[in-house]
Amino acid sequence: MNSRLRRSTAVAGAFWLVALGACGGGGTADDSAAPTPSVVLSAEAALGEKIFADASLSASGRQSCASCHAPAFGHSPANSLAAQFGGADSTLQGLRKAPAIRYLAANKPFAIAADGTPTGGFFWDGRARTFAEQATEPFLNPFEMANASKAAVIAKLAAAPYAVEFRKVFGDKVFDDVDGAYLRLSLAVQQYEREDADFNAYSSRYDAFLRGRAALGEQELRGLALFNAPAKGNCAACHPSSRGADGSLPLFTDFSYDNLGVPRKAELERNADAAYFDLGLCQRSDLVARGDLCGAFKVPSLRNVALRQAFFHNGRFKTLKDALTFYVQRDTDPGKWYPTGAGGVVRKFDDLPAAYRSNVNTSEAPYNRRPGDAPALSDAEIDDVIAFLKTLNDGTTP
Amino acid sequence: MTPIPRRTTLQRTLSTTAIVRAIVALGLTLGGVGAMAAQSTGEAELARRLDALAAELAKVKAELAQLQQQRAVAPPPMPAIAESPSMNASGTALGPGLSAEPRTVLTSYGEINYSRPTRDAKNTVADVRRFVLGFQHRFDDKTKVVTELEVEHAVSSAGDKGEVEVEQAYLERQLTRQWAARAGLFLIPAGLLNENHEPTAYYGVERNFVETAIIPSTWREGGIQFVGSFDNGLTTQFGLSTGFDLTKWDATSTDGAESPLGAIHQELSLAKARDLSVFGAVNWRGVPGLLVGGSLFTGGATHGQAAASSRVTLWDLHARWTPGRWDLSGVYSRGAISNTAAFNTPLAGSTTLIPKSFDGWFAQAAYKLWSSGDYSLSPFARWEQFNTARSFADIGPGLTPIAGPTERVITVGANFSIGSGIVLKADLQRFRENRDRDRVDLGLGWSF
Amino acid sequence: MKIVLTGAVAAASALAPAAAFAVDYLSVDQAARLLFPDADRFDARTIDLDAAQLQSLDRHGVRARSARWQALAARRGEATLGYVVADQVVGKFELIGYAVGIGLDGAVRQVEILSYRESHGGEIRLAAWRRQFAGKTTDSPLRIGDDIANISGATLSCTHVTEGVRRIVAVVDTARKSGALT
Repeated sequence: MNSRLRRSTAVAGAFWLVALGACGGGGTADDSAAPTPSVVLSAEAALGEKIFADASLSASGRQSCASCHAPAFGHSPANSLAAQFGGADSTLQGLRKAPAIRYLAANKPFAIAADGTPTGGFFWDGRARTFAEQATEPFLNPFEMANASKAAVIAKLAAAPYAVEFRKVFGDKVFDDVDGAYLRLSLAVQQYEREDADFNAYSSRYDAFLRGRAALGEQELRGLALFNAPAKGNCAACHPSSRGADGSLPLFTDFSYDNLGVPRKAELERNADAAYFDLGLCQRSDLVARGDLCGAFKVPSLRNVALRQAFFHNGRFKTLKDALTFYVQRDTDPGKWYPTGAGGVVRKFDDLPAAYRSNVNTSEAPYNRRPGDAPALSDAEIDDVIAFLKTLNDGTTP
Repeated sequence: MTPIPRRTTLQRTLSTTAIVRAIVALGLTLGGVGAMAAQSTGEAELARRLDALAAELAKVKAELAQLQQQRAVAPPPMPAIAESPSMNASGTALGPGLSAEPRTVLTSYGEINYSRPTRDAKNTVADVRRFVLGFQHRFDDKTKVVTELEVEHAVSSAGDKGEVEVEQAYLERQLTRQWAARAGLFLIPAGLLNENHEPTAYYGVERNFVETAIIPSTWREGGIQFVGSFDNGLTTQFGLSTGFDLTKWDATSTDGAESPLGAIHQELSLAKARDLSVFGAVNWRGVPGLLVGGSLFTGGATHGQAAASSRVTLWDLHARWTPGRWDLSGVYSRGAISNTAAFNTPLAGSTTLIPKSFDGWFAQAAYKLWSSGDYSLSPFARWEQFNTARSFADIGPGLTPIAGPTERVITVGANFSIGSGIVLKADLQRFRENRDRDRVDLGLGWSF
Repeated sequence: MKIVLTGAVAAASALAPAAAFAVDYLSVDQAARLLFPDADRFDARTIDLDAAQLQSLDRHGVRARSARWQALAARRGEATLGYVVADQVVGKFELIGYAVGIGLDGAVRQVEILSYRESHGGEIRLAAWRRQFAGKTTDSPLRIGDDIANISGATLSCTHVTEGVRRIVAVVDTARKSGALT
């Protein structure tokens, strides 16, 4: 090696040492992408909070948003009814199970992608574009808060204890214009649902685990693996469980729609009429022509699922165990889930008219098995998955 | 002594000799009349010397006149540079003395391929695999900019499968005789193919798996690089650059199983750059026809955005020997990702978890069987083995994935070259693990 | 010491790029001296090939590229030691300047690289690679992959320089045989 080469090698060596030393990296990091829940609500959101809990805004005087979206139950119902009762005298049964309304901040308005896949929107059929739009319906729904008109709602609002505050925030003359006031009412609820920490807490043990601050138990990890495995539960296909590339924590829904062929629920009074079918997406006035979407309902988030007491759009199952067992045994043992008709033939997918039964998802795991096959998850494996799902409950961070 | 040429009377009078004589005569006259007699001998001596000087001066003048004559007759002698206009590769003629002037060169290469799986003919595909346009602009004899733009799969749009990407965009400055510096988006010196990836530079229609699945060719990063070339045949390159992004790993897709680093490369497209990487490569070409070298790349891949931190390292050893008509080459490469247990645990059960290590090697032999004028035919054979999931970190019983299978591919085919810029290729590939991938490929490529 | 002015060397030094650092390694002048260290002067020579000679070269697979070539005759006293021809070829994208020294027997003495600007392939400057040309004549194939080994990663540069050397050897040989070069 001549002296020039020796010198050059020394330069190269020094460079490497400096570069390696200066190299970044190391240490655990706070996930920068978790939304920081604001501790202090804005004036609008504070009003929204009051409105959310105000039963006087209903015709019966006994029903508020919180009645069916109870904070202690992940903002889903506090009971296991297939549908809640409302109306002027609280005797009218609703049409669908009241959904949980947490973790919807990332939900976008309903849209159909270029390949025909629907995503987004609020309600089981995505008919409301935003939180605010969704909030406008229950007040006027005859099965729910059953007010006769917007004017009736506003009249009640003007008589509420926080009406003074409402006027302060939105202007003195706000109650003079019914439509304007109604709009602001729904916006206040929207701000509350966006700002309040309870709706986007990310305080579950699973969140702590993803942040590297807690460990999951063996059974819970087994359950997670079964949840993810495409050949086993394959749950992550619609309920993603991993962090996004931008570091965001998983929401356990991709906001898409699916048709599971959930069995008919007799508890729903409407179903006494054999000709009545809840067709989901294609029941929307703008999607009537889309026969392929009949029977499809929104994929809900699984966060706080263990706090819920009824599952699916018609509240068909009351326990997680039943719901998960249905998933894996729907096709391996249909007689267990659907009524058997004359001649011993199982009426599979009985909650859909015959014409739409082919819409049901039978191609993705675990729905792709045949009667007599072993189910994708055994009984013990279902228990593992349930153990994992329990780690998704908020408020359990040590 | 050469005879004094005839001159005119005027010339004679005004000649230097005459003038000198006159001055001396004057001086002597002024100097002293008395000394005149005594100095008459000295004067004669002086006069003789003056004559001699005059003669020499005349001789020099004659040669000068001759030279001037020659110059006027002969064309201005210049080195062959100006007289024989040379053509640059794209066919435009260059003028004289252009080597030091700034100039712009358009470069391009392209590949059009046809691939027919022998067991699965319904998946036959024909594709404009790559269409690359680039330019190099030389600002002065020490500085240039090199850029390359690539279109893959012909059509790039929201609904089509193609991609448009900037493959290279860097400045190069020659610092000393040995050292040059590059800054910008450049190719990482790894393996045999990455920096030399035109279709005319390798055998076979598709690039080999070791240098696509393990070394993610065409692998480029942004940063600064120093290149040193020494008189003993050693070339060394090293630098600081951006690296990979492990948070991009999608456990639900199979991209990571096809190429772990290909699934997490950033291509300097809004690349996360908190963690930088260092790399170095050494290549020795001291013996003509032989190349031996290796490279190393290492850097953080989590940029403080994940719960744990992880480092990606990739190294390779390569050699190429071209005795006579043979072209023999081989590469071994191995990559490792640290701390994968922390990343894999939340992904347990998913389709593709992050491997702890992945590696591969190949050995290839080509022989220039026939050549005539512009044409040449070089059949070749290549044996390669690689494993994109050689090992996984332990995340618990029943959860830790088993190591992937080691795929073995045998490729046999030929390159038919037309000139130095066009190549027609055909090959047959046989896979050990995934027999459905066995295929016949045809390709055509150009490069200039 | 007598200072002898010969137009060729003076002109060459003036017009060839001065050996700046980095990409210009030698001037034609310096290369000539390296190729023929015992010469005391270099005289300019012009080679003009006629149509018949060009065709003959073409038949032997050498495209002469130009009818007129400039050469330097290395002289010592009254004797000629050999010839130096300087030329430029394109490597991959950039020009490579080089000079070939040919002895009276028509065999290559040495090849010198005058300037090299490509980002890769600078190894053609190495003595080891250039040494391969020593002793080559018009009978040698002078081809990459045949009697001249390639440099991995610099195939085009090697091929074009080798082609250039073959061309120069053929041109000088033709000129010598026809008596155009003395």
